[in-house]
Amino acid sequence: MLKRLTFADTAHSKDPLLSCALEGVASVIAGIKDACVVIHSPQGCASAVNAAYDRHEIDLTKRKIGCTRLFESDIIMGATSKLERMIKQADENFKSRIMFVVGTCSADIIGEDMEAVCRGMRGEVGAKLIPIIAGGFRGNSNTGVDLGLEALLQLIAPSALRIKRTVNLIAPQATVNPGWQADLQWVKEILFELGISVMTTFACNTSLEEIEKAGTAQANLLLSHDAGYGFASRMHEIHGIPLILDDIPLPIGLENSNNWIRALGEHFSCSGKAEKIISRGEERVVGILRKRGMMMIPRYHNCRIAVASDMTFGVGLLRMLYLELEMLPELLIVKSSAPEGARLMEAELEELRISPEVVLDADGYQMKEALKAIEVDAVAGSAWESYIAEELGVKVAFDVFAPTNRVLYIQEPYWGYEGMLRLLQAFAGDWERAFRSKSIELDYL
Amino acid sequence: MRFAESIVFSGRLSTLYQLAKEKKIDTALQGSHTRPCKFWTAMKILSGMERTIVIAHGPSGCAYGVKQAYKLINCRNSGTPYEAVLTTSVNEKTIIYGGEKELREALLEVDRKYRPDVIVVATSCATGIIGDNVDAVVEGARAQIGAKLLPIHCEGFAGEYRSGFDLVFGELAKLMDPPTEESRKALSRSVNIIGSKMGPERTEVDTDVKELIRLVKGMGAQINAVIAGGCSLDELRRAPSAAVNCGLCYDIGYALGREMERIHGTPMNSTILPYGIEATKRWLATAARHLGLEKEADDLCGQEYEAIRAGHEVAKQRLIGKIGVIDGKDAVKSLSIAHMLERDFGMRAIICNFHPWSAEARQTSIDYLLEAGIDPEIIITKGALAFGRYESMRQSEEELLDYLGGLTKDSAVYFGSSLSFPSIPLVDLNAILNRPRFGYKGALKVAQCICKSFDCASRGRSRLTKEMVFPQDPNASIGAGNLGMKASASMPDCTFYGKGGMRRCLND
Repeated sequence: MLKRLTFADTAHSKDPLLSCALEGVASVIAGIKDACVVIHSPQGCASAVNAAYDRHEIDLTKRKIGCTRLFESDIIMGATSKLERMIKQADENFKSRIMFVVGTCSADIIGEDMEAVCRGMRGEVGAKLIPIIAGGFRGNSNTGVDLGLEALLQLIAPSALRIKRTVNLIAPQATVNPGWQADLQWVKEILFELGISVMTTFACNTSLEEIEKAGTAQANLLLSHDAGYGFASRMHEIHGIPLILDDIPLPIGLENSNNWIRALGEHFSCSGKAEKIISRGEERVVGILRKRGMMMIPRYHNCRIAVASDMTFGVGLLRMLYLELEMLPELLIVKSSAPEGARLMEAELEELRISPEVVLDADGYQMKEALKAIEVDAVAGSAWESYIAEELGVKVAFDVFAPTNRVLYIQEPYWGYEGMLRLLQAFAGDWERAFRSKSIELDYL
Repeated sequence: MRFAESIVFSGRLSTLYQLAKEKKIDTALQGSHTRPCKFWTAMKILSGMERTIVIAHGPSGCAYGVKQAYKLINCRNSGTPYEAVLTTSVNEKTIIYGGEKELREALLEVDRKYRPDVIVVATSCATGIIGDNVDAVVEGARAQIGAKLLPIHCEGFAGEYRSGFDLVFGELAKLMDPPTEESRKALSRSVNIIGSKMGPERTEVDTDVKELIRLVKGMGAQINAVIAGGCSLDELRRAPSAAVNCGLCYDIGYALGREMERIHGTPMNSTILPYGIEATKRWLATAARHLGLEKEADDLCGQEYEAIRAGHEVAKQRLIGKIGVIDGKDAVKSLSIAHMLERDFGMRAIICNFHPWSAEARQTSIDYLLEAGIDPEIIITKGALAFGRYESMRQSEEELLDYLGGLTKDSAVYFGSSLSFPSIPLVDLNAILNRPRFGYKGALKVAQCICKSFDCASRGRSRLTKEMVFPQDPNASIGAGNLGMKASASMPDCTFYGKGGMRRCLND
């Protein structure tokens, strides 16, 4: 059982730490090549879609987003013809092979029949039209990722063929690592080294053809503990593709990376190759830390730490913090609550024999109250937690998760051996900064 | 294309203004030229209120977006503590059965857990459409809640983006106390600066607002409130008793100034933005009349000018007779810069791509400028009216280059975004280090920026940065119809909006 903190006065008012379903849907669409999106919404909703494209780091010149700009009269009279015009305009301008037509709160509530519009226009436009109803009220951004993935199911061709040593990668974007694409790249490199091919990634720079052939993969790998479980389950039902490695944490830290690679090796009968990667990885981590990170031992030993993240990192960081850095995780503030992820967290805590206080589905108020209630020496989280930590007098804040104040021109992995080193490097930088003097005594001389 | 073929309008500001008044020029704003919705702009003003909690009555995404965009920046740059933006987290059940009960409970919760001075209920598209009676819920809860309550109807679909500013400023006036003889006396030497937004000023750099505060204090007056640049309920309540409202911007905040003048008789200092020596002098003198500090203001202006005299005279000597081509995208600012260039530096101002929409929407500033005897040349090209913000930017860039082709690097300077790559020296007044731009100090700073850009003219612009904004590879931007807008309003929008022209604010 997770030791969950409870809070008064939080049933009806939330200070949200996650965006709405629209952003989640857009974060799937943004990962598909040759796709454009038309949102049937007032103009403000375009910002959520743009945020998703930002997360994918889509070149500013390559965004294909249309917005119908609904106004009051459209809400009253309906805006089907406006949507049809927008679809035609977007088709002419964007010339995409596939167009996602997304209904947000307004279109969803007034009952715009997006499916009928898309069905009726199939002969009139070049792009394949995929309607998605994604009213923000349907859930948070993780729900949106699930809605977006669900919409892709219809694009996967049924196939009796099963290509050995191939996997689909699901929901790599559903994580708080601001450099998640580097994590994805690390996964692909490990798979390549193990002789396993990636059939389809759902979705990052993914082509329509890749989506179509996803039904031929041997297994599905979920790269998040926050979203994608429903999609993986449907893939199993429809295409008979099993989800693997969903019962262990993702490769964050030394031991989790070892376990994850080892499990892959066992599943695909390439344990020898897996052990070589593990041995090389360990050597790299220990070698670097021996030269650069010796000071982290006295710094982190029994340092009481709070982690504020999603489930993906909330589960994944535990082993590294507790066993490898000898920190004491005292508080886990998780902004999501996927039941599968929560079960994994429970199992992990049981195995580690620790019982930090846990907040699931945390909002900003709970986050701040929890940090007030549980005394810690350091917080690992986003820029938000670093400000709260400063306000509450917590000396050290590792600002490593999105939204971060860390400027990243080039994405950095947090997964795997190199990722662990990058994470520790970020920790070390923030630790140093926390204790550096910020004032200059001009009178001293 | 020859430049002449791309011209939509070429003439004086007064002519454009007249044409707009007589509806002889199309003043519709392209659908692609506005981005945020009414909810966002409303929240931008509300984010500038201290100890105020906003409950966005809607799905979580609306509150989350605002929090990421505004509140995080306040923490980053303005040193504010963590500020919550609440949501009632409207879900499918709420959409079917209504969310009034949830809202009532949320009001009680928020009052208990935050003990704010003000609770604002901001409606979203979802709750606007399902017809929750927010006003009735708020009225019903008033007796049980310690905070002041303010419902704001700012559904994203209910008006164009600017209407959110006007709406909230109008509503904030409801929190103000009518002046009494005593309160007027107490604040007879106090000024409100109105038209600010988002929150307090940046802590690490000089800003225009900080400069105005310094000048106001320099003539012996006090600042009662910067509305809404981190102002408290107490400051707001007292605001009508201040001697004068000084506008920071004549678009944002103008509605509040007029409302306060109408209801409480608080005078408004209606001059142009204090860019440059003459405008600042006028800004201070007008404020001083209401403060009874005319002599002090006059003395201050003398001291301020004395401090920059040497630098100004050298710069003016160099700049006199040169041409300043000003990007007209930010209409009010472009008019103010034109005023400064002509009055303070003896330059010839030409405003490029001052959208005809602005000729209709920015009447106050135009009237002031024309009354002051400044009637700058205006050039509008087809690019300004092109659909799609990036298309507009790209086409305008080409037309600008064509237009500037006849000007030499030592005779003209371009005032605009450094994302533009004109063939003449460029001054980007939005660059963070170019602050303050207001006041005497600002005038000298601008003058030095112009001189510096002439000094660096031989360097030209970076091939690297130009390629970043305008890729040579024609495939790089085909079809996208856009660039992306990340953090700055000066960056182009990446969304391709449906046609239909600009809608009027439905609340007007």
